Amino acid sequence: MEQGKELLYLYCVTGKAPDLPKGRDWFDKPFFIQHQGLYAVVSRVPGSEFNEENLKKNLGDLEWVKLHVIMHEQVIEAVMDHACVVPFKFATLFNSEDTLKAMLTEHAPMLKETLQRLQGQEEWGVKIYCDMARLRTWLAQDEEILKIDGGIGSASPGKAFILKKKKEALLNLATTAKLNEYGQASFNQLRDLCSQARINKLLPKEVTEKKEDMILNAAFLISKNAIKPFLETVDRLKARHENDGLAFDCTGPWPPYNFCNWPERTAAHG
Amino acid sequence: MASHNVIAESKDVALVEVLDRVLDKGVVISGDLVISVAEVDLVYVGLKALISSVETMERLRGGPFVGPMQEPT
Repeated sequence: MEQGKELLYLYCVTGKAPDLPKGRDWFDKPFFIQHQGLYAVVSRVPGSEFNEENLKKNLGDLEWVKLHVIMHEQVIEAVMDHACVVPFKFATLFNSEDTLKAMLTEHAPMLKETLQRLQGQEEWGVKIYCDMARLRTWLAQDEEILKIDGGIGSASPGKAFILKKKKEALLNLATTAKLNEYGQASFNQLRDLCSQARINKLLPKEVTEKKEDMILNAAFLISKNAIKPFLETVDRLKARHENDGLAFDCTGPWPPYNFCNWPERTAAHG
Repeated sequence: MASHNVIAESKDVALVEVLDRVLDKGVVISGDLVISVAEVDLVYVGLKALISSVETMERLRGGPFVGPMQEPT
């Protein structure tokens, strides 16, 4: 019987009556619950999929996770077309309207403040990838390294071994320095056009499924009237670094997942 | 301004972009009101298979860039 109990799945909160997405097979059509001047966009979901025990099982099923993560995103994207949203994390669930309303009451000041701060802003993401082999080939044209190369050809086997080691070390150092320079300079330029910016953890190749290494994973909160210069700057950076082996992935607008700054998530260093 | 939404418009946005946000970011509330979602974090960590490769990258590079950072997850 617990299995069948319906739960409320919370997508996002807005400050005005939201336009809800239509024409898709949601569990149950998203609707909103109005309370204290806030609007919670929710769906009723079955306990057979979302109660604690069953959710744990489903989270082990990547196909299930993908499908529901995309639904979560699509509902919020539909709402944010017409209203500023505070997006919640995947699988934020409540037992009843009463517990949801109690949460809204408890967090009303924070939610309203956040909505006000995010008004007129968009979140964009920039990830920079680097083709390391290409960058190293280019850096190997450095004068000092070429000199060592010349030495290797005429050296004894023992000496050649040491020179190769030295070359490798120099090349590693140069690569690190270049990546820091490019990544930091790009981030700084973009940050200057934004209200807020943050750097997230790099994702490994197993996840990105790219052959290049991710060297920057950043999120930006941008005022709507600064989007154009922001995108133009991304394009300029792309063009400038094309021959360095750098690729820029710019996506947006996203719901402001990175900029809600809830107390639990602001104990950041930096 | 419905025109350029990420999922709605561009099918080629990598799933990883969506997962990176929906599973890892967004408002988290804790307490009796909300049903436990601790497992969601575990899914994400598993998905990232993160630990070794990223830390290695950051060591190689001499540390992360200077800027506001997310808290470690």
